Amino acid sequence: MNKPQLDIHLGPDGKLVVKVSGVSGEECTRLADMVKEIVGIEDSRILTDEHFGGARIVSTSAQSAQVNARNSGR
Amino acid sequence: MSSVCVLTPIVIGSWPMIAAAVVSAAGSLGFTINVPGTVITASGPGRERVEVDIDHSAGLEAGIDLANSISMYTDGMEIQVKQDERGALSVCVIGEGHTKGELRAIGTQVAGRIVQQFAYHKLMTELRTRGFDIVEQSVSQDQSIEVRVRMNG
Repeated sequence: MNKPQLDIHLGPDGKLVVKVSGVSGEECTRLADMVKEIVGIEDSRILTDEHFGGARIVSTSAQSAQVNARNSGR
Repeated sequence: MSSVCVLTPIVIGSWPMIAAAVVSAAGSLGFTINVPGTVITASGPGRERVEVDIDHSAGLEAGIDLANSISMYTDGMEIQVKQDERGALSVCVIGEGHTKGELRAIGTQVAGRIVQQFAYHKLMTELRTRGFDIVEQSVSQDQSIEVRVRMNG
């Protein structure tokens, strides 16, 4: 079984991108929430479902809302 | 299933934690730290001065000591990182022979690097206490930090 893994990118402007892998479902969400709690403000979150080969944007920022609106209008 | 989060760090910590991030940022930029407590008073003739706020920053302690500041210098520019009485951080850049735009660009670069270093140290410290080990780490040419951590045990 895979171990939970985080791939962290810290940009020189301070922006942070974290990919959580090796876990699924609630555990994946819990780890993503843990990182948010440590670091600060979540701008967006993407859940990648490899079974279906797609991506869903489930969160939070104005930019994400615009993307969701665009996607739902298709 | 995996998830990808984009986050904006909040810089909240004691002055020693923030000072450590400032020193790390200065080192990564190749800037030289001045003697602690140096105060930049005013712009002289031919000198421009620009101030850049560090967003989402605050101190932990009530009644911040106004002496909390660190200054550094590079290429004829003096850069002071200071904490106001509310704990908010700002970067003041003073230089001769530079436009305000150039000074602002330096201030923004320093501010970003402080946030990066603060978030890196805070995240690594917290993740270690929660059972994660660093398995890979590198610094890209653009000074981004890439880290892979994995749950131990």
